[in-house]
Amino acid sequence: MSKKSKTNTHSYIPELVSKLRKGEVTRRDFLQTATLLGVSAGAAYTMAGMPAPGRKAHAAAKKGGNLRVSMNVKATDDPATFDWSEKGNVARHVTEPLVRVGEDGLARPYLAESWSASEDLKTWTFNLRKNATWSNGDSFGADDVIHNFRRWLDPNTGSSNQGRFSSMTTTSDTGKKDENGNAIMSTTEAGGALEKIDDHTVRFHLNNADLALPESMADYPALIVHKNFDDEGGDLIKNPVGTGPYALKDFAVGEKATLVRRSDAAWWGGEVNLDRISYIDHGDDPAAQIAALASGQVDTNYQTSIEQVETIKNIPDLNIYERVTAQTGIARMHVTAAPYDNKKLRQAIQACVDHDKMLQIVYRGRGGAAEDHHVSPVHPEYAELPKQTQDYAKAKALLAEAGYADGIDLRIDCVANPAWEQNACKALSEMVKPAGINLAINIMPGGSYWDVWASTPFGFTAWTHRPLGVQVLNLAYRSGVSWNETNYSNPEFDKTLDKAGAILDPNERRVVTRKLQEILQDDAIISQSFWRSVFVTANKRVQGLYAQVALEHHYNDVWLDG
Amino acid sequence: MLIFVGKRIGFMILTMVVVSILLFLLLEITPGNVATKVLGPYSSEEQRNLWLEAHGYFEPFYVRYFAWLGNFASGDFGDSVRFKVPVADILWPRLGNTAILGIATFAVMIPLSLILGVLAGMREGSKLDRSISIVSIVTTSVPEFASAVLITAVLVFWLHLLPGTSTMSDGFDILQLILPALVLIIYDFGYVTRMTRASMAEVMTTQYVRTAILKGLPYRRVVMRHALRNALIAPFTVIMLQINWLLSGVIVVEFFFAYKGFGALLLEASLNQDIYLIEACAMVAVFVAVATQTIADVGYTYLNPRIRFS
Repeated sequence: MSKKSKTNTHSYIPELVSKLRKGEVTRRDFLQTATLLGVSAGAAYTMAGMPAPGRKAHAAAKKGGNLRVSMNVKATDDPATFDWSEKGNVARHVTEPLVRVGEDGLARPYLAESWSASEDLKTWTFNLRKNATWSNGDSFGADDVIHNFRRWLDPNTGSSNQGRFSSMTTTSDTGKKDENGNAIMSTTEAGGALEKIDDHTVRFHLNNADLALPESMADYPALIVHKNFDDEGGDLIKNPVGTGPYALKDFAVGEKATLVRRSDAAWWGGEVNLDRISYIDHGDDPAAQIAALASGQVDTNYQTSIEQVETIKNIPDLNIYERVTAQTGIARMHVTAAPYDNKKLRQAIQACVDHDKMLQIVYRGRGGAAEDHHVSPVHPEYAELPKQTQDYAKAKALLAEAGYADGIDLRIDCVANPAWEQNACKALSEMVKPAGINLAINIMPGGSYWDVWASTPFGFTAWTHRPLGVQVLNLAYRSGVSWNETNYSNPEFDKTLDKAGAILDPNERRVVTRKLQEILQDDAIISQSFWRSVFVTANKRVQGLYAQVALEHHYNDVWLDG
Repeated sequence: MLIFVGKRIGFMILTMVVVSILLFLLLEITPGNVATKVLGPYSSEEQRNLWLEAHGYFEPFYVRYFAWLGNFASGDFGDSVRFKVPVADILWPRLGNTAILGIATFAVMIPLSLILGVLAGMREGSKLDRSISIVSIVTTSVPEFASAVLITAVLVFWLHLLPGTSTMSDGFDILQLILPALVLIIYDFGYVTRMTRASMAEVMTTQYVRTAILKGLPYRRVVMRHALRNALIAPFTVIMLQINWLLSGVIVVEFFFAYKGFGALLLEASLNQDIYLIEACAMVAVFVAVATQTIADVGYTYLNPRIRFS
């Protein structure tokens, strides 16, 4: 067992400060690493010689009012199984995460008051807020947190958090065989992974070091529910018990969700400004959102599509907020399904893509070119690789090596909305055509697409922003995790990913991440063309708002002017 | 007449039974796994199989059909996998919303189109007739989505007169009803006007009308007493068919204005392969279609005594 940290300051922090002063690490790398190791954001900014980014003057904030938000209202029953950011946005005001990623992209304690990590990053101690209470009057504490982790790691829950916290799991043979005679494996909570120190302290014992652990606790499926959640029905809508500042008043899928300020007890974070938050579902037609914004029926929206940014700019009284993010869309292939089990074929598809052109065509240049490895330049550990170029001669040669010298007919499944996703597929289809690949596009309604999302051999998936590159690599490309939509399994990659999570020095981490990027790019399991900016529109009377990188709604500081 | 009405109702029930079987069969072969929708995409195969077994999905087709039919007849339409509530809880309010939209549309459209149609048909070929005909053809030719965009651009974005969407999220708001109703009225009134005009023009050329005019009856009396009743037979059938159109044919308008009506519900149910909801919506739509047609048939017989049924 690893050494356990007793203090809040990790022993690496002085070295990190020294590296910053010598210019060996960037301020961004410093801030990210220091805050992950448990240094408060304010202290980290001070160490870096920077003023902490303050929210707009709170003294000017006005109390009261109803913030009306245009957003799809989806079934929001169990946070552990959330698969859409929109679900998290409704639930987050009721039930909260241990950690929150702020406007600056840094992890901050939330229901956790602070945390500390052992030297080897395998033991993490989280101190929980003592003044947080559940809306049913119970005190929030370690039992709640342990209960949540236990159900997340239980395969019967079906939570993506099992992949997020894979360093707390173990995989074993169930003794059963599948149709092909292969052993059926089961991933469950590793013995001794969760330890209750006292009523407000929890310790996590990991199989392998994971620097991204606090960031993972901020993701939208990691909202903490009451320890009696399952006993009381396991449905947040029917039994909306939470620690957050708002209570759920009305909820109807596809129509609306109304949150009102909690009146039963003081929220641990103080007093919020808004009396009410009303989510209104305008369906999948972006034009309806614009009409609602233009006529003052709503104050802000979940997301403005790229096609409508210029239109919004011409409407008085509306502000548009843009944020460069690590949000992206990937054309991913099942590496275990023919013909995509042929690496040469996958590489041929990659060779056909002009990433810059794709960004211009599909997303009007608002973002950045990607490199087929799902680590973004906005991620602190990103390593720049040699620029990929569109090379049809190479693509044809690869195709011939794959056994398709005369070309091949393929089909990609994609969702109808938002439009940029199907446009990306259309552009990909055109780009692979000169190499002899005839790529048909199967555009599906969301309800149908998400049924086959994980099983379709070739599909297009949008991925949201995560603060660290290794987070998304853990979620999507580690062997056996639930969001591994490519069925990719590479022991070398997994081992390198473990290694990346254990490195404190940002520069050394970048070297290992480079290796991960190269493995993914070479294995060609995805064709990832670009990173996209996100846009949020709001009436000018909405103050304190920002476009969060993962489109999370943090409305505790928002107020309405006038 | 009673025998005729009884036969029509019997035919209506038979139609619904046949449709229900076809619908059940169609949904049987529709791809998509209901267990995945209920339990989520990360559920295991074992979990999904347990759920399917618990909900009787491994029973033979006919067993499930009769169980469903029995439940349906008793008002239990099953649970919606998209809305996570009993189908009846979402179906009736949505039907009510569409009924409100339909009544608002009919309240303006029927008098308007009948008056214009009669006026045009009274003097076929006159300037008034040509003007009404051109307007009717133009408005009917423009699809709802195009007129919706145009009207929204003018009344919402330019003149700032009306709310741009009709979610009614804070309760019923008559202002939010205006735009969808206006689009429907503009699209539909031309069609009914043209039908009324054609019928009126035909009646006005009949011998009994010409005789009435020639024998010196006031023109107004000829129209009101002799021509109008016969001229309204054809529009009556058309109007009855419009009820069916308003129920499930207004998907575009409801979608555009985010109006939470039956058409939008049907679309959502289909896009999400919400089987129980699709079945209930389709049965309601079929019932309304068959019922309105039955009423139209009976009404037609009443209005036109020359029609005899054995």
